[in-house]
Amino acid sequence: MTEPGGTPLLELRGVTKTYGGVQALADVGFAIQPATVHALVGENGAGKSTLVKIVTGVIHPDDGELLIDGAPTRVGDPQAAHRLGIVAMYQEPTVFPDLTVAENVFAGRHPRSGVRTVDWRALRIEASRILDELGVDFGPDTPVRGLGVADRQLLEIAKALSSSARLLIMDEPTAALSPNEVENLFATVRRLRERGVAIVFISHRLEEVTLIADTVTILRDGRHVATQPAAELSHGAIVRLMVGRSLDALFPKEEAEIGDVVFRAGGLSRGGVFSKVSFELRRGEIVGLAGFVGSGRTEVARSIFGIDPLDTGRLWIEGEEFRPRSPRAALRRGLAYLPEDRLHQGLVQPMSVGKNVSMAVLPELTPGGFLRPRRERALARRFMNQLRIKATSPAQIVRSLSGGNQQKVVLSKWLAADPKILILDEPTHGVDVGTKADVHRTISHLAAQGLTILLISSELLEVLGMSDRILVMREGRLVAEIGRAEATQERVIAAAAGVAEAAA
Amino acid sequence: MTAARAIALRLLARWETLLVVAIVGAGIWSTTLSPFFLKRANLLDLVTPYIFIGLMAFGLTFVVVAGEIDISIVSNMAVSVVCFAQVFDAGVNVWLAALIGLVVATVLGLVNGALVSVLDLPSLAITLGTMAAYAGLAYVILSGEGVASFPSGYTKIGGGYIAGNELPIALPVILAVAVVLGIVLHATRFGRYVFTIGSNREAARFSGIPVMRVRMAVFAASGLMAGLAGVVYVGYFGSARADAGTGSLLDVVTAVVLGGVDIFGGAGSMLGVFLALVLVAELRNGMQLANIQGDTQDIVIGGLLLAAIVAGNLVRRAQTGRFRVRPLRLGRKEVIAHDAADALMPSKLAPQNLKGR
Amino acid sequence: MNFPLRRTSAQSLASAVFRLREIGILFALGAAVAFFAIRAPNFLSTGNWQGIAQNVAIVIVVGVGETLVVLTRNIDLSVGSIVGLTAYLSAATFAHHTGASVALVALIAIAIGFGLGLVNGLLVAVARVPAIIATLATLAIYRGVDVQITGGGNITAYQLPDRFLKLASTKPVGVPTLAWIAAGVAIVGAAAVRWAPWSRDFYAIGSNPEAARFAGIPVGRRVITAFAISGALAGLGGFLFASRFPTVDAVAAKGFELDVITAVVIGGVNVFGGSGTMLGVVLGALLVATIQDGFTLLRISEFWRLFFNGFAIVVAVTIDALVTRRLQEALRRRRAEALAARHLEAGT
Repeated sequence: MTEPGGTPLLELRGVTKTYGGVQALADVGFAIQPATVHALVGENGAGKSTLVKIVTGVIHPDDGELLIDGAPTRVGDPQAAHRLGIVAMYQEPTVFPDLTVAENVFAGRHPRSGVRTVDWRALRIEASRILDELGVDFGPDTPVRGLGVADRQLLEIAKALSSSARLLIMDEPTAALSPNEVENLFATVRRLRERGVAIVFISHRLEEVTLIADTVTILRDGRHVATQPAAELSHGAIVRLMVGRSLDALFPKEEAEIGDVVFRAGGLSRGGVFSKVSFELRRGEIVGLAGFVGSGRTEVARSIFGIDPLDTGRLWIEGEEFRPRSPRAALRRGLAYLPEDRLHQGLVQPMSVGKNVSMAVLPELTPGGFLRPRRERALARRFMNQLRIKATSPAQIVRSLSGGNQQKVVLSKWLAADPKILILDEPTHGVDVGTKADVHRTISHLAAQGLTILLISSELLEVLGMSDRILVMREGRLVAEIGRAEATQERVIAAAAGVAEAAA
Repeated sequence: MTAARAIALRLLARWETLLVVAIVGAGIWSTTLSPFFLKRANLLDLVTPYIFIGLMAFGLTFVVVAGEIDISIVSNMAVSVVCFAQVFDAGVNVWLAALIGLVVATVLGLVNGALVSVLDLPSLAITLGTMAAYAGLAYVILSGEGVASFPSGYTKIGGGYIAGNELPIALPVILAVAVVLGIVLHATRFGRYVFTIGSNREAARFSGIPVMRVRMAVFAASGLMAGLAGVVYVGYFGSARADAGTGSLLDVVTAVVLGGVDIFGGAGSMLGVFLALVLVAELRNGMQLANIQGDTQDIVIGGLLLAAIVAGNLVRRAQTGRFRVRPLRLGRKEVIAHDAADALMPSKLAPQNLKGR
Repeated sequence: MNFPLRRTSAQSLASAVFRLREIGILFALGAAVAFFAIRAPNFLSTGNWQGIAQNVAIVIVVGVGETLVVLTRNIDLSVGSIVGLTAYLSAATFAHHTGASVALVALIAIAIGFGLGLVNGLLVAVARVPAIIATLATLAIYRGVDVQITGGGNITAYQLPDRFLKLASTKPVGVPTLAWIAAGVAIVGAAAVRWAPWSRDFYAIGSNPEAARFAGIPVGRRVITAFAISGALAGLGGFLFASRFPTVDAVAAKGFELDVITAVVIGGVNVFGGSGTMLGVVLGALLVATIQDGFTLLRISEFWRLFFNGFAIVVAVTIDALVTRRLQEALRRRRAEALAARHLEAGT
């Protein structure tokens, strides 16, 4: 720990950033001391990623300034950040699948020998050293093509460690790691701290935050709420500061009448991804599917919707067997899936709102194969009103909408298909608070009308608030089923992490 | 900037407007070279030698809008030409032989489509390979010298005239094809699927669009149009040779790209491609008047192709920065068209339950 | 602990697959040689092999440059036109200045090729024209310039000095000079992609352009470099082409880019970029040249060659993609099994 009087390594003053009408950050200011682990916590959409992007020079603040070693500094681009010793480890791994682990670690800055050629020996030795330090079980010569998500995450950490960083930003580094790997990572983080490196640690797992962090900064809705020594904060206090309001206000769950079983999955398996997943969904029920990133939640949903093939297992919809051959077949049987990646899987950005909304129901809208623009517009209008989409007309291009309105467009697309079972994968990821409430209200309302919903979410409070029942996955298996009455944050996390329930 | 100026700029920024301006400009240039250019006969005949190129460009448009490329299209036409000729030479009726040429070309297009969509291989590499393979095939099939004894009743469709011997038959033919394909691309579900897949294949698949079938279909369409181009080619030149159309790939690709079709997929219009074809034909005609050789003309056409992409990139970048929308796309036109239509047709009259049928 | 074991198994699987590629070509080459040796009487004669070596030499020289471009997930279709143009310019220089130094003319040809390649690189990296379109256009443009310069004429062997023609005709140690030059270029190329830090960037760029940018690799500059080198080697190729086929006109080396791309793709350079070796390219070129030579000896139509080239590209691309997918799947599965086993150990 450093004495509070020292010059901070990085200080933010009045940092503000607005995206397409949504305030991502408002007047944020705090300081990061050298040789500390500084945790950054907040709900999804609280502004953590925006903050990281500003510090690493990916985007620039509308207002406010960054001070490095006490001097105001402009971080022009990621390379400039690199030169300043600011290194970020991104949530989504950016690896080179054709190259070996060692070359990935040193891509773009190979160690060189005297005659400016690549020093392969040094490359391998250096990479081995870093990998050993991390305690991973793959070697420097392993082809990256064969590594899974968790391994790639570790590789990403190795990359960050290999550079001489003064400030290392780790965005959800543990999301896909096993407890063992997390331990190794924390040991490494502590070693780095002893060397004087400041680490910004972003995580949703509060146990980890209190375990590793010296200081905690809490953001909420783009505002700075508190920066305090970790020792002074209990879990409860952090959650209160993060949420800032009671659960019920955030998630207005309507009471729905729960009917018969409409969907049944028996023994679903897909090699190396998930195995023996069985569950039932009832009419009017909202079932939460919790688990850490990489636990197989999304993969199960993709297979049910016919995107990835199943190895074994059977599905029934309303008692009739259903084979998920393609998304088209699934749609016909009343299944809809709102994917987690809105940008690439959910929307066609350069197309209009109207075209996006009608995308999944075009066959019904176009008898004889000819487009009926008027019907498409009417359909879009209906949902623009129903979901309060802020767009000037159905002809507005989706790209120009805010994230929240874009997500409503995706939701409209699936509701237009009039499904019986709706799978929602991270439906409120990266949307503002107002939209979040709209989405929650819509979900709850739909369930009350008899729609069956499977809600996949990394946000525990969302799952707890919305679900009638919670299924928890860990490492490709369904490990727990918790009723609404018994569901608590601790229970869900314990099941997802595979540890004995801590006495909270 | 005043509102009037903004509207003027927006109109100017439409790709098709620019093409029309370029066509007029090139016309003026041609007139200065030779007063013969403005003669009705020359104007009407301007496009005739490029009909087969236009047909292939129309076919390629579907492929490029879907986010793929088919550089085997010209070789495919050569195969269809020689198949047609061989079958005809064996004594089959000329129209039946032409039909067989069409079928062969469609099948070759389907081969590309199957490799690209079923096996999910890169269309660039695959059609580069089939470009060579089909070209070789054309020579192999037509082992002899070539066939040149087509009946005049047939050659009329490529080189004949109607309406007082002035209007080349080919002109109404290509106009009709352009209109039909324009409707297919812009007003049908299939066309929408093509645009959607070209904009975001992943999202299209997640939305239940039969991506594999549509991708297959665009390559089949490209093959069919290559076959049609072959039929017209034989009609126009009155002979079939294995090197039919050699060197016209540049013109075909230029017509498509210059026509405003986004080379990365997802945007483009049949009208633009048609206008670009007219422009290319006009420029070649003008250069002929100026006594510029064919290969030297290629320098100009190649430059035009590069300029079209660079200009498109520049405009796109400038406008993306400012409005966060992609310009030069149908989107912009729709805003205007839709609003006008909405004024006439209140949305209240829309069918309430669309899933009902 | 048996982690080290697992390491080697994953490694060896991957490297075995890559070696498999080269072994596969060798095997095909052996099969082709055996087939033609039986069917074509003089296939195994020294003279015939020297002919193959001469034919393959220029393809290898140009192929080394093309490889760099393809590694970055681009393609250069204009190499045929660059070879044609520089071939004519080299020949014309000798025709007008009989006393010109061979090395100097070679340098001029390389410099011209470099400039033309630079134009390609700028079009792709700066003007953001997709490589296939950019080089399709420059293919036409460079050929058009060639036609302008030749003005329909040609240059014949007797206008050229013997010093220049000897490049193709002499055979030190029984191997044609052209082949020695090609071997030199291939070795330098192989060394470069192995040892030069900037050329390792080509692999990174082709493997994941976005990640390359994140890693601080100057992507644009590297792509320009790849195209410029490709152009320069095509220039050298043109110079050699003129000594091998001394009657040079405006259609010289037309379609040559297909031979080059076939060799590169058969040689195992992934069309998606990111992987490939110079040894593979050399073997690919040898395979193409051997089969074409065999076709000629068997009096099989010239045009089957064209068909074969295209067919080979399609087959190579298909096999490549399928093998890569299988390999990825196999590696993933192994890794998943290893992890499951480890969790089991930890659990008990």
